Order: sequence, then C-alpha cells, then structure tokens
Amino acid sequence: MNEKLQFQLRAQISQMDSISTAPAILMPLLEMLRLPSDRISLEKVVELISYDGAIAAQCLRLANSPLFGRRQTETVRAAVMALGLERVRSMLFGLCVNRVMPQDKWVIPPDAFWRHSLGCALVTQRMANKIEYPEPEKAYLAGLLHDLGFLVNSVLYTDGFRECLRLAAEQHLALHVIEEQVLGFSHCDAGQMLCEHWGLSKELVDAARCHHDVCLLPKAGPLACLVHLSDLLCRVRYLGYGYEEFMGVDLGGDAAWQALVRSYPALEHMDLVRFTFDIDGAMDQIVATVDAVFGAKTMTAPASG
Amino acid sequence: MAIEIAKAKPVAPPDSTPVDPAYLKIRDLIYRISGIYYSEEKHYLLKSRCERRMAALRVTSAPEYFEHLTIRGNRDAELRLLLNEITIGETYMFRHPAQLEALRNVILPSILQAKGLISLKRLRFWCAGCSTGEEPHTLAMFLLEEKDKLLAGWSFEILATDLNDNSLEAARAGIYGEYALRNTSDAMRRKYFKDVGNQKLQGNDLLKAPIRFERINLSDDSKMLFQKGMDVIFCCNVLIYFDLASKRRVVQHFYSNLLPGGYLFLGNAESLFQVDDSFRLVHFAGVTAYLKPTAALAGGGKK
Repeated sequence: MNEKLQFQLRAQISQMDSISTAPAILMPLLEMLRLPSDRISLEKVVELISYDGAIAAQCLRLANSPLFGRRQTETVRAAVMALGLERVRSMLFGLCVNRVMPQDKWVIPPDAFWRHSLGCALVTQRMANKIEYPEPEKAYLAGLLHDLGFLVNSVLYTDGFRECLRLAAEQHLALHVIEEQVLGFSHCDAGQMLCEHWGLSKELVDAARCHHDVCLLPKAGPLACLVHLSDLLCRVRYLGYGYEEFMGVDLGGDAAWQALVRSYPALEHMDLVRFTFDIDGAMDQIVATVDAVFGAKTMTAPASG
Repeated sequence: MAIEIAKAKPVAPPDSTPVDPAYLKIRDLIYRISGIYYSEEKHYLLKSRCERRMAALRVTSAPEYFEHLTIRGNRDAELRLLLNEITIGETYMFRHPAQLEALRNVILPSILQAKGLISLKRLRFWCAGCSTGEEPHTLAMFLLEEKDKLLAGWSFEILATDLNDNSLEAARAGIYGEYALRNTSDAMRRKYFKDVGNQKLQGNDLLKAPIRFERINLSDDSKMLFQKGMDVIFCCNVLIYFDLASKRRVVQHFYSNLLPGGYLFLGNAESLFQVDDSFRLVHFAGVTAYLKPTAALAGGGKK
C-alpha cells in the first residue's frame, strides 16, 4: 500500500462517523475486553448491559434459549451468570459493532462475518491453551478482532469492496489477494489502522495487520501466528467469508507454525493431526455457539436506546 | 505416544456430562494402535461402539472393558473386534463428497498443471483395500463426469485392490442394493448402472472400463514395489489393522509409488502421526490428505 493511500485511509478512519462515534458502551467494553476474564467485575458488566435496553433484552433472550437449558432468567445479572462472561463479552462486542455498522453497508453477510470472527476467536484460544500461551484471553480477543478491517472497507469503500467479494467468490480465491488488486490495500491494513485508532495494544494491532502474512513483521509474535493459523483452519472448515475458497493448507509447513515452533520448541513434536481432529470435533459446537450468540434474530434486532 | 488433549475451555453447553476417564484411556489406546482418533465431541460415538462390545462380553463398566483391551489374555482379539465395530460396514457410494471436492477444486488442477508440462496426459489412481468396490466405482463416476470438463484430453485408470477374494469378487461384479446407492442420484444410476432385478443395480461397461481389479496384499513387498506412477492413492480404514512396523512399510511403499505432488487419502479420522513424516498433512475444505511434496514445495510459505 503506497504512502498516499495509507495517509488517506487513516484520515478517513478517524472521520468515520459511524465507527468513531460508537455507542457509549463500546469504549468501556473494549477496555474490559483487554482484561483476563477473572479480572472482570461482574457488577461492571451488568452495569454496562443495563445501560442499553436492546442489549439487555438480547442477553435475557439468549440466556433463556434452549442452548442454555431454557432457564427462567429475569434479571440481567442472572443472565450474565448463566451465559458466562466469555459469551457475554463477545456478544456485547458483536452487538456494538452491529449497531455502528449501517445495515445497508454490510458487504460480507453479517452472519458469515461473525461466524468467522468468533470461530477464529475460539480456535485461537484453543490453540493458545494447547501451546500454554500465558494469555489465552488475549488470544481469544485477537481472533475476535482480526478482521475488523472488513468493516472499514464495507463502510468506506462499499462498492469497491463488494466487487472484491464478487470476484473472490467467482474465482474461489482469498479475499485479501483480490482486495490488494482492486483497492490497493487489504482489510489487514484497514484493520490495523482501526485498531490503532481505538488504542488497542500493539500485539492486537499486529495480529490484525499480518494475519495473512506473518512475514510482514521481522519477528512475528505468537499472537499474530496463532491468529494466522486459526484463520486458515476456520477457512478450510466451512467458517470462511461465506463463499467457497479453493485451497489446501499445510499448517506444519506454514511460516507462522515455524515461527511458533521457534518460540515453543515443544511444538516440534506435537501431534498436529490429532490437534486438528480436536479442532474439527469442536467445530460443530463452535458453529452452534456462534449461531446462538449472533444468530439471525440477533442480527435484525431493532437498534434503540 | 499420543500427546495429552488440549486443556481448552469447553465450549459445550453447561449441562453436558463429563466423560468416564476410562473412555479417554480407550480413546488413547485406539489412537496409539490404529491411528483412529475420537475428539472430545465424538466421545458418544466411541462410547456406543464400546458398549456394543461390552454387552457381548457382559461387561458392565468402562474400566473393566479397558482391562479386556489391555491385560486380559484375549486382548488382541478383543481389540480387533472393537476395531471391526468402529469401522463396521458403513460403506456406500459418494460417502465422502469432501474428498471428491478437494480432488476437483485443488488436487487435480495442480496435478494437471504440473503434468501438463510433459506430454503424457494420463492419470493413475489406486484404491488400496477397495473392499466390495464402492470406492473405486464412486471414483470412476466422478472421473467420467469430469471427462469432458476438467479432464478433457486426459486418460485415467483406477487400480482397485484387496486382499480378500470374496470382497474382490463382489467388487468385480459391481452389483449394489439401495444402501450402497443411497447417495447416488437418479441421473448417475441411469448413466452408469443397469437393472438386474431384485432391486439391485449392476455397474455397466462404461463404469467398469477405467477400473482394473487385482488381488494385492499390502504387506507383500514384492508386489508393492511395482505399483509406480500413482497420482492419488486412497487407503481408508485399512491401515488401522496393521502393527506399527507393517504400517510404516506400507506407507513407505505408498510414498515411493506416488509421483511428487501426488496425494494419499486415509479414512476420516486416521492419522499418520509417528508412522511417517515424509508426507505433508494438507487440509482441504472438510477433509485432510497427505501430500508427497515436490522438491519446490518442501518448506513453508504464506497463504
């Protein structure tokens, strides 16, 4: 991406009405997302949710859904306890972003976007646990946020990005490759800038920036590598961008895997096949969780308050 | 040795019940012996397979059954019976559409591109352990359907082998009932089969032409040496019955029989971990396969 374009995109992001004037709860929420879940106060979450009527209603609806045993949950507090903080915060984040995204600007269908983002968050966290990465919560968050650049492109370059998606789906190619050709930059660049604009940590910015190419950084951190690998796994397990990509993925031969092995030498002897079988086995549940959290009903919830 | 399972936080709904640890031991045993793996979420399947054997043995608890598999005198026989239960006659045409999609979308285009550079436009496939023939017949239908599209200008042959004479005879006859044809469309039935009465269909000459049946024992080194020039080998749920040393030999034979850039497909949950590290594990949409790398493909790259 050339300097002029970079400057222009950065300026556009800082002036994006919808995203920079996010709902009042987005900023405290992003603040909260940075903490490991055992340091989040339940009261704080309940307070945030109660602040927004539509979001509170979603929480209650989800807590009362069959997936969570159809409890008779009547208070926000009980709903948060039934759902668990992890689900609640991804749901809050999704609802906030859905709220700031003008409905006519979605290019990737919202359910595909959330399936991929939350799927990637869950797989990244599983991988992080597997390699005993010290901050699995951060890994989860990196997975959840890695594709935010798609939203920037959808809002700022709606027609161009729609053309990218059409071409990528038609040729069954990776979307970032087409974005580079058509727009001159990809959602990785846009995501990096949005994460910077929101003041997220450098590791999260890096993960958004180089999740398709960890070689962009002289020394890619484990978080960027984990997100890169789980993004690939999700895309070959029907959690892509809503169209079929023709690709074969050699995880063990991937640069990100090799970078991880350098940081975690024990990985060299890891049974990668068995690990991916475990991920495969979890995919159905991941899909069920995503659909419960960001299901069709959630997507069309009226924006009020 | 199998590595301990991930300590990932379960995404399961809060009401899911914990698994008896004895089943985890059985799961690890099966994986170590056969390479077949049951992920956490598939435990109910493993459990139901074990329960059938437990009922036959009148064993009531999983820990006791684990003893039958490990320390009782008849443990080898019992393990085999359990493996039979695990892979039980679940075979029909078009059982693994994801394999065919991976062939059509990624594998064949890359092989055709590489081989197109030389003038020999011929492809060779091998179904090793073809049992009663569902797999080679499915492959034949798939390839014949691509004859004027992806494979225009190319010829192909399928070698279908098994050790069991009865299975081979059935495969050669190619007579199938409704169960085997449950995933086969009416159009395909009309095109590639003829009605032989008794609600059975038999593969016609068009379907049989590309397939060559042969009896081959995968442990017979002298025969295995002469199956060179393969592009894709299918060997699903066969190696699970081999001990580690024989498994290694068979897989090494597959490796040397494959052309560089060729692929080996195993059963859905089979693994080559610690059996062989010359192949590269590659993930495609909904399926995994093992690649024999070309010199240029060795090492990593970005995607």
